[in-house]
Amino acid sequence: MAMRQTPLTCSGHTRPVVDLAFSGITPYGYFLISACKDGKPMLRQGDTGDWIGTFLGHKGAVWGATLNTDATKAATAAADFSAKVWDAVSGDEVLTLAHKHIVKTVTFTRDSNCLLTGGNDKLLRLYDLVNPEAAPQEISGHTSAIKKALWCNNDKQILSAAEDKTIRLWDRSSMEEVKTLTFDKSVSSMEYVADGEILVITYGKTIAFYNALSLDLIKTVEAPATINSASLHPEKDFFVAGGEDFKLYKFDYSTKEELESYKGHFGPVHCVRFSPDGELYASGSEDGTLRLWQTAVGKTYGLWKCVLPEDLGSENSEQLYTSPPEIKA
Amino acid sequence: MAAPVPVLRLPKGPDPNSRGFDPSSPRFIALCRTSIPTSAAPEADAEELQREQQVRSELRENFLWCLHAMTNKKVQFHMHEKVKVEATFGASDIDVLNFQVSDLQTPIGVQKEALIRSQDVISLSFDM
Repeated sequence: MAMRQTPLTCSGHTRPVVDLAFSGITPYGYFLISACKDGKPMLRQGDTGDWIGTFLGHKGAVWGATLNTDATKAATAAADFSAKVWDAVSGDEVLTLAHKHIVKTVTFTRDSNCLLTGGNDKLLRLYDLVNPEAAPQEISGHTSAIKKALWCNNDKQILSAAEDKTIRLWDRSSMEEVKTLTFDKSVSSMEYVADGEILVITYGKTIAFYNALSLDLIKTVEAPATINSASLHPEKDFFVAGGEDFKLYKFDYSTKEELESYKGHFGPVHCVRFSPDGELYASGSEDGTLRLWQTAVGKTYGLWKCVLPEDLGSENSEQLYTSPPEIKA
Repeated sequence: MAAPVPVLRLPKGPDPNSRGFDPSSPRFIALCRTSIPTSAAPEADAEELQREQQVRSELRENFLWCLHAMTNKKVQFHMHEKVKVEATFGASDIDVLNFQVSDLQTPIGVQKEALIRSQDVISLSFDM
């Protein structure tokens, strides 16, 4: 008998969750950081959603948050015109990087030695975390606020998306623009999949997949509603997307077929990301919650417990907690 | 009608009393760099380590006694941007992130009850 998806709701934020990121897989599991307009980004255990700690210090909405691969450092971008670097084990603030306007995006290189930031001042900044006193290198070119910036091609290149409806590829050493993609709509999100060099972009109701090195289009898929964020499964068999109709959609990457849709959030979905092992995906919403969703519904993983058909209705199932059915909007 | 996937429990939410990052968690113990200089060194001299730890304990104890002594006393806070305010000290929270004060004298009036962010404070002084 098919089972119905039970999303796990992570509460704690008091305002919309606008960004989220997973770490890599560490000896202690993997972790999840959420950026929230309440100014208090939170760290959670990735496979259970259990809260670990809150990074306190920002004085404005936090627009971007990221973890380094081994989850020892976190970085956040905020409306208080600063980006901060944190010790993700102790929760202590390690660095405050002052900017001239709202900072929207932060990301570490793989060796965690360089931090890339971007925001409303239209500049990309590269901070050397080994010599934090040194002035950052600046890359200019975008003509409006930068929404998202990423490292790609083994941290040799940078991809940035801005309100000027372009995505630009930059060379890190020369700091020059290599290529530009122009759209007729604002790009709502961008995700980079290193293995396979794939770029996932969303705009309007479209989820588009590009080759991250050449910026050649691979394919586009249309969703039933305006999409704010999408994420490709590590094995590249599925992708998930969420947006303005509050639902999460799951698509087959090869056939582009819509496989499933899930209700659950009480507001638009702002961000969605697969976990590094692909077993679950997390979504952040205007409703102030994060939800964790199973990729393979009914599988035993994290807090989800597989129940065989013969156990349903027997004494065994009393030990399990069945969450109350979601109230349909 | 498909049955919902059962769960063992719901994800744990934030602790209202602390910012988390449990120091007794295995990850913290394994990864947190100690701030004791001697024990951070590869070969730690046991005697030196003990002496350092003792001094740290004394400093910490002094700080806690100081907080205790300040309770209900008038304290002057020297803050950033050349701000100096006076208030009656109530208490500090456990992570020393906020100070609870009463009758905070500000240029725009007296605030009966207030929370002062500790990171905004450069120094404070009071009469014993």
